[in-house]
Amino acid sequence: MICPRCAHDTIETVTASPVPGVWDVLQCHRCLYMWRTTEPERRTRRAAYPPEFRLTQSDIDTAHETPAIPPLLTH
Amino acid sequence: MAYDDLRSFLETLDKQGQLLHIGEELSPEPDLAAAANAAGRIGDGAPALYFDNVRGFTDARIAMNVHGSWRNHALALGLPAATSVKDQVEEFARRWDAFPVAPERREDAPWRGNSLTGTDVDLFAVLPLFRLNDGDGGFYLDKAAVVSRDPEDPDNFGKQNVGTYRIQVIGRDRLAFQPVPMHDVAQHLRKAEERDEDLPIAITLGNDPVMSIVAGMPMAYDRSEYEMAGALRGAPAPIATAPHTGFDVPWGSEVVIEGVIEGRKRQLEGPFGEFTGHYSGGRRMPVIRVERISYRDDPVFESLYLGMPWTEVDYLVGPNTCVPLLKQLRAEFPEVRAVNAMYTHGLAVIISTAKRYGGFAKAVGLRALTTPHGLGYVSQVIVVDEDVDPFDLPQVMWAMSAKVNPADDVVVIPNLSVVELAPAASPAGITSKMLTDATTPVAPDNRGNFSTPAKDLPETEEWVGRLKSLLAAR
Ligand SMILES: [Zn+2]
Repeated sequence: MICPRCAHDTIETVTASPVPGVWDVLQCHRCLYMWRTTEPERRTRRAAYPPEFRLTQSDIDTAHETPAIPPLLTH
Repeated sequence: MAYDDLRSFLETLDKQGQLLHIGEELSPEPDLAAAANAAGRIGDGAPALYFDNVRGFTDARIAMNVHGSWRNHALALGLPAATSVKDQVEEFARRWDAFPVAPERREDAPWRGNSLTGTDVDLFAVLPLFRLNDGDGGFYLDKAAVVSRDPEDPDNFGKQNVGTYRIQVIGRDRLAFQPVPMHDVAQHLRKAEERDEDLPIAITLGNDPVMSIVAGMPMAYDRSEYEMAGALRGAPAPIATAPHTGFDVPWGSEVVIEGVIEGRKRQLEGPFGEFTGHYSGGRRMPVIRVERISYRDDPVFESLYLGMPWTEVDYLVGPNTCVPLLKQLRAEFPEVRAVNAMYTHGLAVIISTAKRYGGFAKAVGLRALTTPHGLGYVSQVIVVDEDVDPFDLPQVMWAMSAKVNPADDVVVIPNLSVVELAPAASPAGITSKMLTDATTPVAPDNRGNFSTPAKDLPETEEWVGRLKSLLAAR
């Protein structure tokens, strides 16, 4: 199992369906992408995940911070 | 009729034929979002949608598209369902003048009945969360009224802010949060972070229909949204004290989530399909640690689909964007007749005004750019004559086609401020802005050939009434 969005291989189960065995909600450790196992393949399978929404390590590292963290008050 | 909670409004929608209960079993994805998306594609008068049979859940109740038509918006304000858009905006503006109406404190809030704290906090245990759009980074809370206080002035009721922001669920007790820099909560967060503090926050879900309208309204920093809700409801807004933060929150909320924005911390957020009809995201945003969840028995989860306009959000924030601009412009220019700021939360605005003298209409249009809302929106302004209805787009297009001499009537100003989400901005947060003067020039601006306009006949208005009653009597 790899992240459909960034291909990272550390995936955590966040929750399971209240009706046992219907679905799980999974999350990628690196990019925080969260998905339900019963979603369409375009959201759950790396091979079908749309290129325009894929992320790389470099995308994550260079992500813009907003709002910017302000300087601490000095007095 | 003022509604104190979402449930009583859903009952009215149901009685008025404006609530569609979908009881057949469906998938959380893609069905819930696709159904709400479709509600915006079936024409005027679309109903709210209510789902209670969602695969894998045992206890899910989900309401969508609650404000998603002019009929539902009218009912939210307690008006007849058939009230025209222009009349809804005018009634909204009339009630606005009753501001401020002090809220009514009622400490018997139904959400006091159930709570999760400490290690028991689990958003998934209370909310049937689901994804809206394909590229969304996760499941979102996108119709919450979020309460925060000014850390420098925490007891100032007016500076306590209630606003709607996009909130991504990134864990059982963690949320990513997007405070738009122009909005009040961003000022609260900046002050907390300068002091190396966390910012306490209360997120209320499933509110009465006027609270949702007010939370999305551009208001001055020191004006209370609860006092505005009272004015618009025609009755004091019921509020109660949230147990963990001590903040004032709506009495009738389905769910109240409390915690802190962790100071000086950012994590990857998004993307999220936004009201601009485009995704935004992939940026590092503030993070909320959830510390307490309070909720009513059998809570209803309210969500809103947004994507390519028009969707529910356009109905929700359309009139509430028109009215502040109308009030601010009229305060200086009483000649202003009406303002239509319903396109992408006022990125494009149409203003109808009488002219004091030549050049006046351009001054009115330029003033719209420098209103508080204009600083972050209003990147295109069209000004039309006083006898053109800015909500009647064929009339506006007539004014554009017949009155505009582009070389003289179109003004472009480079490098002004706009919300970072504006897709055409370059760089993000900066855009040029355009004013189109589609009014008839008046002296001493003696341009064009406008001396003999063909106006409606003096008897036409009476005939409108006669035709309508003849048709009604058939
Ligand atoms: Zn990932």
